[in-house]
Amino acid sequence: MTIENPHVEKETQLWVGPQHPGVTGNMAIQVWLTGDTIQRGITHVGYLHRGFEKLMERRKFIQSFPIVCRICVPEPDTNEYLLAASIEELGGITIPEKAVWLRTLVLEMSRLASLVQQIGGGAGATGLGAVPNWTYTLRDYILDSFEELTGGRVYHMYMVYGGVRRDLPVGFAERMEATLRKIEERLPYIDKVTFQSSVWRERTQGVGLTDPAWVKEMGISGPAIRAMGFARDVRRDFPYLAYPELDFSVITSTGGDIYARMEIRRHEVVESIKIIRQVLQKMPKDGPVAAPIPNVFTWRIPTGQTYVRAEASRGEMGYYTVTDGSDKVRRVHVRGASYVHGFAMAERMFEGLNIADLHPTLVSIPTCPPEMER
Amino acid sequence: MNEFVQEIQARFEVLWSNPQRPDLMQIGVRQVNALPLLTWLKSNTGYFILNHFSAVDWIEDGEFQLTYLLTDYAARRSLMVCVRIDRAAPTAESVHHLWPEAVTYEQEMFEMFGISFPGSPRQGVDLLLEGWEDIPPMRRDFDTAAFAEEAFGFRPGRTHTNPRDRVAIAFGQKGFLHDH
Repeated sequence: MTIENPHVEKETQLWVGPQHPGVTGNMAIQVWLTGDTIQRGITHVGYLHRGFEKLMERRKFIQSFPIVCRICVPEPDTNEYLLAASIEELGGITIPEKAVWLRTLVLEMSRLASLVQQIGGGAGATGLGAVPNWTYTLRDYILDSFEELTGGRVYHMYMVYGGVRRDLPVGFAERMEATLRKIEERLPYIDKVTFQSSVWRERTQGVGLTDPAWVKEMGISGPAIRAMGFARDVRRDFPYLAYPELDFSVITSTGGDIYARMEIRRHEVVESIKIIRQVLQKMPKDGPVAAPIPNVFTWRIPTGQTYVRAEASRGEMGYYTVTDGSDKVRRVHVRGASYVHGFAMAERMFEGLNIADLHPTLVSIPTCPPEMER
Repeated sequence: MNEFVQEIQARFEVLWSNPQRPDLMQIGVRQVNALPLLTWLKSNTGYFILNHFSAVDWIEDGEFQLTYLLTDYAARRSLMVCVRIDRAAPTAESVHHLWPEAVTYEQEMFEMFGISFPGSPRQGVDLLLEGWEDIPPMRRDFDTAAFAEEAFGFRPGRTHTNPRDRVAIAFGQKGFLHDH
């Protein structure tokens, strides 16, 4: 209340981020509060803009791989795949069978690493410090496998036009299986501390709600839409790579709250493990891992445009790519799931939210600012 | 998919169409027909989700291309609507009233390409480039090399950069750390 007008609540403006452990990455939320209730909020980005799309316009096709993987740190392989798939489509290149399976393996490993990280982040945002310690350890085991396969832990640059860089090392499947078992063994502990804890359920159920009516208005995807009961998954709706040959479930829930989104991730970890096992089992043992492509220094691709999509752990990710007959792309536009989630959806979710629930809500979406800014 | 394009053709003039993939159809329409077409698609068809909205600079044609990607998730198909606008006076009708996420797409296109969407709520508000005074950087005629040279060009460094020289200054030419 103010002295001038006792019927108007005093409003406080608060900046949350860009450096804040509860904000997913370098972005800021400007909120206006009455008491501890958020009246409205705006997402601010621009702290990470590195002009990736412009850089790609000035480089030959092959030179874009070290750029695109940096668009999402926890899950770089989706970007590598989408760039490769879009240029291959426009350039008329078909990748060999073995490369199809290796790409599927890497994409699913990447999803798994990102999903366990998000579970830890979600628990950490509600004050449960042990869970992030567990899940980041599990993610590190997956990064060990990435290092063995690709030579890089965080950024892999494993996919190239025409396929992938190399075949699986000898004994990789056994070591991957050991990592998958470690994750499975840890999941019951995570369940006890979070999903089976009445305190945590109280903290996350009915909080950070999304409205199913938004689905018709916005391009919501991933766990955010599946938490509202919509079984929408790019791997199932627009099948790519080896996913049509794999048996997996699209997990849904109906809560539309933090708990529902985290619960979906918890079950998707199991599905992801199932997929990796199937890929390792069904993958052809022999065959080339890459198809021949034109000389990368002189390769020109005819005029064309396409949109290629894949399911990242956050939702639908797509690359709009335009070529003009030259040796460089004319335009690449990266459509990350976070673009819709972080701006239009999050700003609606902020309204009426308690300030203490802001961070668990943000982490439960979650957003990846580099894919919003590119 | 071709029948659907014919249905669009019957209502709005389709300049060209290209079945890029079985699940992706591309069409080109005149700017005057863009908003009526998008409104019709959103209201009367399954293509009511805007997946993606961006621009391409065709500087040699003196035009920008606006690309709207709409998806019908029930039919598992996408429609890419391409609209060319004049590059000299780049203005297009806002679609924020149809899709709320278009607010930031339009905000970004104003900042990066200089394309104006009158009536769009955050038009002219900085999104990524605070205090940017050069030409919009995603335009093809923006010289990235010249900008980098000017903004991050070579600056003279310290006088002494070789540790060996510093040791020589401190301890004489036969400093005890070296030259044994």
